[in-house]
Amino acid sequence: MGIASILQIDEMMGDFNRMNKRQSLYQVLSFAMIVSSALMIWKGLMVVTGSESPIVVVLSGSMEPAFHRGDLLFLTNYKEEPVRVGEIVVFKVEGRDIPIVHRVIKLHEKEDGTVKFLTKGDNNNVDDRGLYAPGQLWLTKKDIVGRARGFLPYVGIITIFMNEYPKVKWAILSILAIFVLLHRE
Amino acid sequence: MTKKEDKTQATEELVKVYKWDGSAVKHALDDAVKTCLLGDRPHLKEHFGLVNTRLALCALAVGVAIMAHAWDFTHPFPQSRPVLLISVLAYFALMGVLTLHTSFREKGTFAVAVHKEKERTWEASSDMKKYDDKYQLTLSVNDGKSQREVTSNKSCAAFIDTNGIILDHLVANEVNRLYNSLSAEKKDK
Repeated sequence: MGIASILQIDEMMGDFNRMNKRQSLYQVLSFAMIVSSALMIWKGLMVVTGSESPIVVVLSGSMEPAFHRGDLLFLTNYKEEPVRVGEIVVFKVEGRDIPIVHRVIKLHEKEDGTVKFLTKGDNNNVDDRGLYAPGQLWLTKKDIVGRARGFLPYVGIITIFMNEYPKVKWAILSILAIFVLLHRE
Repeated sequence: MTKKEDKTQATEELVKVYKWDGSAVKHALDDAVKTCLLGDRPHLKEHFGLVNTRLALCALAVGVAIMAHAWDFTHPFPQSRPVLLISVLAYFALMGVLTLHTSFREKGTFAVAVHKEKERTWEASSDMKKYDDKYQLTLSVNDGKSQREVTSNKSCAAFIDTNGIILDHLVANEVNRLYNSLSAEKKDK
C-alpha cells in the first residue's frame, strides 16, 4: 500500500486505462523509437569508425597495466591507417564471438597490401598462437575488429555484471520498458 | 483506484490524478476539455489529421530502423556500409521532421474538431509550464476565411479538488464559456 501509493501506480494505471487507441499506439511507437535511436546511434558509430564493434569492454587482465578488466575501449578500423607493430588491436578468432584486446608484436606485409599479424597480451608470458583457431599461426586483416584509439576506465564493469547475471539485466530492462510504455509523456 | 462512484448525473468514472505530477494533471485536464467540447456538441466530429501525421512519421522512422537492422543482419558489415549510412541519415532526418512537426505544427494541440455543415475547424490547445499551476487553455476556430482564438489562463486548482479528482462540471463551464464567446463573435459579423 505504502510503496504503491508513493510510486503512484494506481494513478499511472488510471492514466493508462484512459488512453484511446491512438495514444496507446503512440506509447508503443515512442518505446520503439527509443530502442531504434539507440540502435541507429550504434550503427552510425559503426559507419563512422569503420569497425563492426566500435566500443568494446576489456574482459580480462591480459593487458595490465595498460588496460584493466572493465575498461571501455573506443576503436576505429580505417583502411587508410594500416596497423603497425606496437599498436593495440581488438580481434576475434574465427568461430569464437569474444573480442580479444592485445598488442601487435610481429607483422608481415606483402607488396599487394596483405598483412599477417602476431599478437600478445602485455601481461601474458606467451604470444597468442594458443588462442588462434587450430592450425592458424597468424591473424589477417579480416580478423581485426579495430585499433584502440581511446578508453574510459571502469565504465564497462556494468556490462560485465549484466552479462554474468542476465536475469538482473532483463529485470531492469523490463521495468524500464513498462515505465516507458505506461507513462504518458 | 479510479473511483466508480455515481455522483449526481455522472455514469462515467471519476478521473483521479496525482495532483503533484504536473504532466499528469495537464493530460487529465486536456482529456476533460476534449470530452466536454465534443460531448455536448454532436455536430462536432473529431479530426485526427495531426495525430495521424505524427504517428505516421514515428512508424516510418521505426520502419527505417528495422530495415537497416535486418539488412545489416543479412549482409554483415562492412558490406552493409552504404545501406547503413543512408538509413542512419534518413532516421535522424525523420526525427528532425518529427520534432519540427510536434514543436511547430502541433504545439500543444490536443483536440481538433470539424463542424461539417458550417465548414469550421475548432482546435483546442493547452500549455502548462513545468512547475507552474497555471493551465492556459486556448480554443480557436477557423472557417477558411479567418481564424479567431480565445484563451483562458486559470490555475489548474480551479478544476481539481484536493483529492485530485477532476471536476467535470467546472471544466465544462469553462469550455462552454470559451466556445460561446467564439460562436457569439461569429454571429455578430
